[in-house]
Amino acid sequence: MMRRNPRWPIHAALIVVSVIMLVPFYWVLKTSLSGENIYAYPPSIIPKSPNLFYYVDVWYSIPFARYFLNSVAVSAIAVAANVVFNAMAGYALTRSFAGKGLVILLFLSCMMVPFQATIIPAYLITGKLGLLDSWLGLALPQCSTIICIFVFKASFEAVPPSLIDAARIDGLSEWGIIWRVMMPLAKSAVATNVILSFIWSWNNFLWPLIMTRTPEMQTLPLGLARFLSYQEDTTGALYAFCIMVLAPGLLLFLMAQKEFIQGLTSGATKG
Amino acid sequence: MYDDAPVRRGWQRFLLNRFVLVPAAIAVVTLAWNLYVATHDHGLVSGRVVDAVGKPVADATVTLWVFNFVTFEEKLHVKTGADGSFRFTDNPSHKIELSAEKPGVGRSARLPVRLYFRAQDTALTEPITLSRPG
Repeated sequence: MMRRNPRWPIHAALIVVSVIMLVPFYWVLKTSLSGENIYAYPPSIIPKSPNLFYYVDVWYSIPFARYFLNSVAVSAIAVAANVVFNAMAGYALTRSFAGKGLVILLFLSCMMVPFQATIIPAYLITGKLGLLDSWLGLALPQCSTIICIFVFKASFEAVPPSLIDAARIDGLSEWGIIWRVMMPLAKSAVATNVILSFIWSWNNFLWPLIMTRTPEMQTLPLGLARFLSYQEDTTGALYAFCIMVLAPGLLLFLMAQKEFIQGLTSGATKG
Repeated sequence: MYDDAPVRRGWQRFLLNRFVLVPAAIAVVTLAWNLYVATHDHGLVSGRVVDAVGKPVADATVTLWVFNFVTFEEKLHVKTGADGSFRFTDNPSHKIELSAEKPGVGRSARLPVRLYFRAQDTALTEPITLSRPG
């Protein structure tokens, strides 16, 4: 018996869209293996004599392992700090207190100030704290983001107040309510925080450029700039570098995609 | 319990999941690769030099060129033996070129050799051919 509404047109459309989305990634991977000129015409779909030597070139041209370690450490600090601080701030904004409207207004207005405008105060503060040229200093301006605070606030507001009252009657402190009641119900917000803070931290270029003083503390985006200044013929090696930078994020997402998707689709309704 | 999934003990839950197994697999591969590198990084590069008709060339000079940022620079020289074979023992690089010449016989074009790590031991599968007048 035939379905009244066949699904194949939807699947066909989704396959076409997926292919269009994946072509640039495939092209980067192909070029990293073959070093072919990306403007060559007619383009070759299958890489000619693929090899891994461009990856070897990247590895030895710059201290890749050190940059990678720096990026991982800074991103880990930023992700952990975002989840903790944003959850605390988001929870505070769901409570009633004097001047709450003003605080929210202040947060919203601060979102309109670009980071480039605050980079000098941020540098001076980091310098006064003695954190220049350190992992913590690299992560410091990204330890809390206003957008993610509002993500937590929205998620916490969906939790029934009776549940919070019950937890309070059972003797939980405000701290306990956040970590034992709110956070398990706010997986979507946690997932959003983790993804966004990781991407922002991993891709950050300007702040590491300003505040690092030694090559040993540079992160991967700075390494890419340094690499481009070293190499003359960069086609294959540049794309290999891009794959090496992308790979950890992709691996993280592939490992955790079930949790991310669950978190993004379940959220506060899960009891 | 309504869940059909087998019940796992505490340590199994912590260890037998993809967040542990995938990094562990990567760590094992990395360790194995590093062991391989540590046992194969003596800088040995060996091969043969032949003339245009494929006869071994004795006493030819083989030059090893090492990539240095934007260009290749001459690094080492060895002479071939009676059977045309040569052997470098301290190649420091992963990106090299080899050339050979013998006055009166000819000279070769530079042969690019790519290695997977610095000083990787390698033996050329194809001989270096002296084909131009020397």
